[in-house]
Amino acid sequence: MTRDKKILRFAKNLVELSREHGVVTESRVAEVLNGLKQAELRRKLLVLKTYLYYIRRIVADQTAVVATPGALSPEALTAIESSFTQLYGRPISAVTTPDASLIAGVRIRVGDDVYDASIAGRLKRFAENVH
Amino acid sequence: MKAISIALFLGMLLPLGLLAAAPEATEVAAEVGKLEAITGKFGVTWPTLIAQMINFCLVATVLYFFAVKPVAKTLDERQQKIADGLQYAEEMKTQLAEAERERAAKIKEAAQDAQRILSEAREQSKEMIEHKTQEAAAHAEAIIRKASEATELERQQMLSDVRKEVARLVVATTSTVLSRELSDADKQTFSDAAAKELASSAS
Repeated sequence: MTRDKKILRFAKNLVELSREHGVVTESRVAEVLNGLKQAELRRKLLVLKTYLYYIRRIVADQTAVVATPGALSPEALTAIESSFTQLYGRPISAVTTPDASLIAGVRIRVGDDVYDASIAGRLKRFAENVH
Repeated sequence: MKAISIALFLGMLLPLGLLAAAPEATEVAAEVGKLEAITGKFGVTWPTLIAQMINFCLVATVLYFFAVKPVAKTLDERQQKIADGLQYAEEMKTQLAEAERERAAKIKEAAQDAQRILSEAREQSKEMIEHKTQEAAAHAEAIIRKASEATELERQQMLSDVRKEVARLVVATTSTVLSRELSDADKQTFSDAAAKELASSAS
């Protein structure tokens, strides 16, 4: 990522334009990208990379990636979204991703935070706690 | 020296005594004549006698000043030297006795010092032996303690390794068994329950 302060500030402004009620939405991002495509910028690629970096961070912060070996009921996903939205104070949407190594249970990652309630995780913690 | 001087003096006075005694012998006047006859036969006359006396006095004086007096002086000096030598010898003897006494005293003192030093050395060696013995005992005890601690540490490490290995085996076995034995429905049920548990704990 660049260290040019002008580009950083411009990318942050673009990210703010991509928010709708504090949430980055696909439609707003598409509008911003169309605007960038039409604009005449000298270092457009660098601006786009910086914008992508910020967007990824924000999307990761407002997304709960729920890893699970099988399917998860919609009620569980709703409960996760509501409780994490309340916990972080910002809208959190949950997406599932398959992970057979967990055996059973879930592992949720929001940004840099990881919450583990899987059998594999519990067994790993058990093994680590044995001295 | 004084005896020689007195003998000479008496020798000088003898003729005078004879002269002085002659007039007093009035009672034996007869014998005077005999004496005068004898003296006449022997040629003893007053002038000769006086001349001999003067001659004797001169010879005695010369002898006294040139022979007796130096000899007497030499004798006095010799006597003084002998006396000095004897006194010196006496002083030397006294000093020798004193030195002998001091030597004996010093030898005695040295013997006492040697005895004292020997006893001190014995005491010190005894203390040193005790000290070294205690140090050796403490050192041996420390070595034993360290060895015991090392053994205990090693035992603990081995136990920990065994526990970890057992836990690893248990986890691996459990993971394999659960992966094989749990059905999809069981997994979903467990996952739903875990998700709800996480959601409730997060809120």
